[in-house]
Amino acid sequence: MKDRVLIANRGEIAIRIMRACKELGLDYVIVYTDADQDSQHVHLAMEDQDGRKRAWRVASYTDPNDILAVADHTGCTAIHPGYGFFSEDYRFARRVTIRDRPLTFIGPNWEVIKSLGDKINTKRVANRLGIPTIPGTDGPIYNEMEAEEVATQLLDNQQQQKIKNPSILVKAAAGGGGMGIEEVFRIEQLRRVYRQVQNYAKRQFGDGGVLIEQCLRDYNHLEVQLVCSRHGERLHFGTRNCTIQSTGRQKRLEAAPGFDVSCFTYDFDAPKVLRQIVDYSLKLADHVNYDNVGTWEWIVARNGTPYLLEVNTRIQVENDVSARISYLHNKQPNLLREQIRLALGDTMGYDQKSIDFRGSSIELRLVAEDTNRGFAPWIGTISQFSFPQEDWAAVYTHVPFDRAYTIPSEYDPNLALVLVWGDDMTMAKNRARQFLDGTVIEGHNNHGEAIMTNIPYLRGNLERLLTF
Amino acid sequence: MHDDIDFDQILNQYRSDPFEYIDVRTSHTGLLQFRAKEEDVVEGVTGEWQHIKGTLLFELERERNIKPVHSSVIGVVSSIERSLEGKFVEAGETVMTIRHPLKKREIIERILKNVLSIFPAPERAKYFFAMDIQSRIDKHGQRSISIKPNDEILTMSLMKRDTPVSYQGAPGIIHSVYFEPGQTIDQGQPLLGICSEDTLPLIQKIIARVKAEWD
Amino acid sequence: MEHTRKRLAKCEEGITYLCQIKEGSDWGNLSGLTSKLEGLKNSFYDYSEEQFSDEVSQLEESLTFLTERCQEDISPMDRVRIVRSPLRFSLKDILENVYEDYTELGGEGEANIDPAMVVAKANILRRVKNRVFTQQVMVIGHEKGHGEEYRNGGSSKPWGNEKALRFMQVAETEGIPIHCYIFTPGAFPVEEYPGAAQQIARNLYAMAKLRVPIVSIISEGGSGGAEAIGLSDLRLMFSHGYYSVISPEGAAAIEGRVKDGLKAPKELVEQCAEHLKITAEDNLELGTIDRIVEEPPLGAKHDDFAFFKKLRYEMMRATDEVVLRTKSLRAFRAYELKLKKSDDDDSTMEVDADTTIHIDINWELNADERKRLIALRAKKYREMASKAYCSETNRFNDFWNSACTKTAKVYYTITYDILKRQQKQVEKVIKEVSGEGSSFLKRLTAPFSAAYDFVVHKPAGRGIVRQSSPSPRQEALALEFGDTYTSPLANEDRTITCPNSLKSGCKDLWIPDLYGEFCGVCENCGHHFPLEYKWYLNNLFDRDSIQEFNKKIGAGNPLNHPILRKKLQPVKNETKRESANITFQAKVMDVDLIVTMLYSDFRNGTVGAAEGEKFVRACELAKLQRKPLLAYVHTTGGIRIQEGTMGVIQMPKCTVAVRDYVDAGGLYIVVYDNNSYAGPVASFLGCSFYQFAIRSSRIGFAGHRVIRDTTGQDIPPDYHSARNALKRGHIHGIWDRRDFRRNLHQALMTMGGRNLYYR
Repeated sequence: MKDRVLIANRGEIAIRIMRACKELGLDYVIVYTDADQDSQHVHLAMEDQDGRKRAWRVASYTDPNDILAVADHTGCTAIHPGYGFFSEDYRFARRVTIRDRPLTFIGPNWEVIKSLGDKINTKRVANRLGIPTIPGTDGPIYNEMEAEEVATQLLDNQQQQKIKNPSILVKAAAGGGGMGIEEVFRIEQLRRVYRQVQNYAKRQFGDGGVLIEQCLRDYNHLEVQLVCSRHGERLHFGTRNCTIQSTGRQKRLEAAPGFDVSCFTYDFDAPKVLRQIVDYSLKLADHVNYDNVGTWEWIVARNGTPYLLEVNTRIQVENDVSARISYLHNKQPNLLREQIRLALGDTMGYDQKSIDFRGSSIELRLVAEDTNRGFAPWIGTISQFSFPQEDWAAVYTHVPFDRAYTIPSEYDPNLALVLVWGDDMTMAKNRARQFLDGTVIEGHNNHGEAIMTNIPYLRGNLERLLTF
Repeated sequence: MHDDIDFDQILNQYRSDPFEYIDVRTSHTGLLQFRAKEEDVVEGVTGEWQHIKGTLLFELERERNIKPVHSSVIGVVSSIERSLEGKFVEAGETVMTIRHPLKKREIIERILKNVLSIFPAPERAKYFFAMDIQSRIDKHGQRSISIKPNDEILTMSLMKRDTPVSYQGAPGIIHSVYFEPGQTIDQGQPLLGICSEDTLPLIQKIIARVKAEWD
Repeated sequence: MEHTRKRLAKCEEGITYLCQIKEGSDWGNLSGLTSKLEGLKNSFYDYSEEQFSDEVSQLEESLTFLTERCQEDISPMDRVRIVRSPLRFSLKDILENVYEDYTELGGEGEANIDPAMVVAKANILRRVKNRVFTQQVMVIGHEKGHGEEYRNGGSSKPWGNEKALRFMQVAETEGIPIHCYIFTPGAFPVEEYPGAAQQIARNLYAMAKLRVPIVSIISEGGSGGAEAIGLSDLRLMFSHGYYSVISPEGAAAIEGRVKDGLKAPKELVEQCAEHLKITAEDNLELGTIDRIVEEPPLGAKHDDFAFFKKLRYEMMRATDEVVLRTKSLRAFRAYELKLKKSDDDDSTMEVDADTTIHIDINWELNADERKRLIALRAKKYREMASKAYCSETNRFNDFWNSACTKTAKVYYTITYDILKRQQKQVEKVIKEVSGEGSSFLKRLTAPFSAAYDFVVHKPAGRGIVRQSSPSPRQEALALEFGDTYTSPLANEDRTITCPNSLKSGCKDLWIPDLYGEFCGVCENCGHHFPLEYKWYLNNLFDRDSIQEFNKKIGAGNPLNHPILRKKLQPVKNETKRESANITFQAKVMDVDLIVTMLYSDFRNGTVGAAEGEKFVRACELAKLQRKPLLAYVHTTGGIRIQEGTMGVIQMPKCTVAVRDYVDAGGLYIVVYDNNSYAGPVASFLGCSFYQFAIRSSRIGFAGHRVIRDTTGQDIPPDYHSARNALKRGHIHGIWDRRDFRRNLHQALMTMGGRNLYYR
C-alpha cells in the first residue's frame, strides 16, 4: 500500500516535510489552525488540490485527538511530527502505533523516545557504557550525608583539574527548564542549599529527590547527527557546533563540522574529539537499538573533555547544516527524506564509507526579534521578503514572498532558515555575510514602527563561530 | 457630551431587530450529527448555580467519543448547515445560527458601549486580569474595582510571554468586561468599558430610560 | 350537658386519630362514624340530655369497637402514622408527667438553638416506705411538638445534636444518668457546620465511653438521627413506635425507582414498611432493643396519664437495672426478685399501683462501677447483630480461633507491653544519664535488642524479621504506577471528555493513557475519574503484602428481604466476594497496618451486619497486634437498607469498637474516595480524628434528593465535594490518587509517631 503522511506541524518544517513526501512519491495531508491560515504551508497544500482536500483545520497542533481524527478520516498511514509539538512525546508515539487503526510514527519507536527522553535514565545508561557524562549523580539523592559526599568529591576533582572557580549545581530531580537549580561554590554552603532545593522539590513536585553535578562553564555545544533504519543500520552525518544561542537558550547560528582549526587554536586534538563523540554516540544508539534520525548533544570543555548532555529523539531544525557537508554519491542528502523513507521501513541502501564529508556550512536562523532587549519577539506585518538566489545557499521559510504576511501572535516569530556552504569555513562565513547583505525584509507593526530582525546579531556573531 | 443621544432612534433600531445572531461553531473536528432543527426553541445554561445545561444542539464524534454540544444562550435556531449532517467537519466550522432575543440588560450593555470610555486591546493577544484585580473581582465583583491611569490591570499573553498592561484613560470603575480570559482578542477591540465619575449620571439615565421603555 | 359535650369532643378526637392512622375515612365504618359525629354536632340542641348521652354512648361504643379492630390488625405503616400523629404524646408531655420538675437547657421553646432537640435537667420521684427521694436525670430527646412548625418534626439539626452532646458531658461531670427519648424521623441532612454526619459520629464516639448510665427509648427511631442520642446501656421502645433504617416512603422511592418530585405508590410504601421490620416486636426479636413499653390500644396520646405513670416506672426500673448490673449480678437479681414480689403483692390492687418502685437505689457509680458500666456497654454492642451475617463456623474453628487469639495476645503483650515498657525505661535512664548521642545508646541497647528479637520472634514462628531491605524511598521509586497492574478500563481505544473541560480547557483524554499511566487523573485539571477498588489493592500497598482475613464472613439477609433474596447471591458470584468490606493486613512502604475497605461493586459499598462485624474484628486485630488501622472507603452508599435496623445498629456497634481501639492507643485513619454517604460517615468513619479524602470525591450525609425532599431546598452541585468537606473541617486534606501511597505513609509517620500506635 502506498503511504500517506499526515504532517502534524507548522511553519517551514511542514513545508520541508511536504516536499520530501512529494519527492518520495508519497501523498500527504496537513493540519493547520485558524491563526496559521495565511501561512505558506497552508497555501501550498490548498493549491495542491487535484480533487483531494489536503489541508484540514484543527483546534490546535497539540490536540492529538484532532490530528488522529483527521489522519483516520483522510486515510493517512503515517504521521510526521516535525520538531517540537509531538516529536518527542512518547505517549503520542505510543498511541499512534498501538491504537486500533495503527499508523507509522515517523521517528524512533516510542520505547526509545521514553527511555532517552528521561535525562537521568540516559545518563545512567551512558555511564554504564563508559560514555562520559557531566560528573555528578545519575539518580536522585534523598540523604544529606550522601549529598555532601558527592559534592565534596565533585569540588575536589575540579580543583585537581585546576578549573578556575569550581562550583556544582544542585537541582530538583523532578524539575526541568531551569527551575529549582542552585549553584554552590563552597562545601559549607551545601547543607543550606540542599535543604532549600529539597524543600522546593517537595513542594513543587511532591518528591524531594535532588541531583548534584559539576557546573560547567566555558564550553562548546556540539551535536552528532545520526541516521538509523528499522533494520539495525546506524550511520552518522557528522558533527555540528551550536554554541551561539540567545539568552533563552535558543540556537541562532550553527556550523558544521563541529570544530575547525582555521577558526581557533584549540587546546586539544579537535578531529580526535569529534571522532570520539561520534563513536560514543553510535555506541549508545546501538545499545538502545535506535531506529530513526536523532541528535546526540555534547558539551565539550575548553580542555577537550566531552560530556554527553542528552539525546534529541527527533529531526532537528538544524539537520540540514550537517547534510550540507555530507555528500552521498556527490550529492548533498535530504535528511527529512531519509527519515521518512527509513521510518516507513526502507533499508539504508548505503554505508558509512559512502558518505563523504567535505567543506563547511552555516545555518542562520532569521527571527523577528529585538536582540538587544532579551530577544523580545516582534510582531507585525511583513510587506517585503526576498533573498538572493545562489547555488551555494538554501532558504526554508513559511513566510510567503508574494504577499503581505502577519506574524501570528500564537507562535514564535521565526522567519526563515538560511543555509550557506562553501569549500571551507572562511568561504562559508563570507557567503553568509554576502547573503545577509542581499536579504530584504520590510514590515511594520501596529504602531507603524519598522520590523526588527536579528540580522545584525547574526552578522556580528559569525566570527564567534567555532571558538571558545 | 453625550447629551445629544437620540434615544428614540436607538431604541427603535433595537425594536425593529431585537435579536443577536449567534453562530455556533465546532470546537474541534469530528463527525457531526444535528440534534436540533430549524425553528427549535433552545434554552441556555440555567439553574441557580448555572448547573443545568442548555438544549442539546448537536453531537460531535471524534476518536469514539460522542460529545454533546449544548446551547449557551436562549433563542431560536434560525439556520442549520444541513449539508454537514453526518459529515466529518473541521474545527471552527459554523454549523448553525441561533437567533437570540436581546434582553433589557444586553441592550443596555450595547448602548453603554458607546458611552463608556473603552480600553482597547493594544495588540492581538490573549488577555487576563492581573492577579490581584482578579481576586478582587472574585470577591467583590467587577463594579467595585476602581482604576486610574498607570494601574497594572491586565496581563497580555503574547508570543508565549506575559506582559503587564497598564491602564490609560480616565479614572473610574470597571463597568463592563468585553473579553473572555485566554481568548485571542484582535488589536483595537474593546477589552473594558470604564465608567468615570462624570459619566455616571448619564449611564444611570440610559439605564433608567431603557428600563422604562423596553419590555 | 357539659360533660357529654366533652365526651363528644373526645369521640371526635378519636375519630380524627383513626382517620389519621388510616389515611382518610375509607377504612371500616369510619365514614359512617364521621357522618354520625357531624350529625350529632349539628343537632346538639335537638336532643334531650339523656338522648344525647345515649347517642354519644353509641358512638363511643362504635369507636371502641373500631379502635379494637384497628389495633387487632395494625400494620407497620399504621404505626408509622400513629407515631407521626399530632395527637401522640411528645417529649414535652413526658417532661411534664413523668418527671417532677424540670428546667430546659440550651434554649426554650422557639428561642432555641434547635427546637427539635430538647435538653432538660429533671427530677424523678421515688417513694420508699412513705419516704420520698428525688433523683436527678438529664433528659435529652427530640420534640416533635403538637403541630408546631418550628419543631421541624423532631428532625434535629447538627447543632441540635451538638447541644445534646454538650449536656451529656454535663451529666457525666455531675454523675447523673441520662434518659434519651427518640422522637425523630431522621436527622436534618445539612452539611453546615458541624455537619449532620460529623456531629452524629461525634455523639456516638462520646456516648461509647460516657461514664454515666444511659437509658434510651424509641417512639420514632429514624435511622442516623435516632442513633445520635440512641447509644445506651438499655434500649427500650414504645409498643407503637417504629425504628427503621429509612422512612418507608424513602425506601419505596428507592425501590420503585420513583422519579424526582413524584411520590411512591401507597401499596409499595406499605410493602416496604412490612419488609423493613420496623415494629417494636420485630426489633425486640432482632435484639436491637431490650424491652417494650406497652402503650394503650393504638398508642398513647398526650393525655394518657396512666401511661405516663407506667413510663416513669419503666424508666426508673431501667436505670436501676443499669446501675445494679455494674455492682454485681447478685444485687441485680435481688432487685429483680424484690420487684417481682412487690408486683405480685400489688396485683390485686389498682392498675397504677404496679408503677411505683419501693426500693431505693442510688444512681451514683464509683470508679470501678463506671469501668464495668462501659465494659458492659461495649459487650452489649459487640454482640448485636451477631446472627445477622453468614459465617462458616463450627466448634472446632471457634476453638482454634480463640486459641490462636489467646496465643497472639500473650505474644503481643510480651512484645509491646512488657518489653517495650522495659526498653523505654532503659532508654529513658540512659538518656538521663548520658544526655548525649544515640550511638552510645545503640551500643548499650544492642545486646538487649538482640535478646528482644529472640523473644519476640520465637513464639510467633513467623517471618516478621525486618530484613535490611532497601529503604522505603527506593522501593517507592522502583514501584512505578502501572508496573504491576493496569486497570482493565484502559483496554479500549477511545477518548473521554473531562467533566471540567469547559471550565479548565482540558483536552479529551485517551482512555489507555488515562487509566494506565495517568492513574485515572486528568493531566490538565487533576480531575479524578473513578477507578476500581482492585487498582488500590495493587498500587497502594507493598507488593505481595496483602493478607486478607475474615474473608468468609458474608452478607446475610437477616430480615429475609425480597430484594436481597433476589440480588445477594448474584452479586456474590459476580464479585467473588462475600461482603462489601474487605479486611486485610498489609504494608505501606514497610509499615504494617490493618485495612478495612468498603468498595462499590458489592451493593454500592453499603454496610450491613457482615460489613460491620468485619470492621469490628479489624479493630480488634489492630488492637491486638498494635497496628495502625486504615479505613479506606472506596465507596459507601450508607447502611444497607434491606438489613433494616440490623444495619443501623452497625453505627453504634462499629463506633464502640473503634473507640475501644483508639483508647487503647491505636491510630485510626480514614480516607474517603468516590462517594461516601450516610450512616457509616455518621458513625465509625466520621468519628476518626484523622480523615482525608481523595480528590474529586464526595462526602456527606444525604444526597441531593433527600435534602430537597426534607429541607425543601436545592443545594449547589458541589455541596458534598471534598473541598467543601475540607472547608467545613470534616477532613484534613485532599490527596491526589497518584500520591496516595506517599501521603498515607507520611500520615502514618506524622500522626502515628515512632510506634505507629501512639501513646
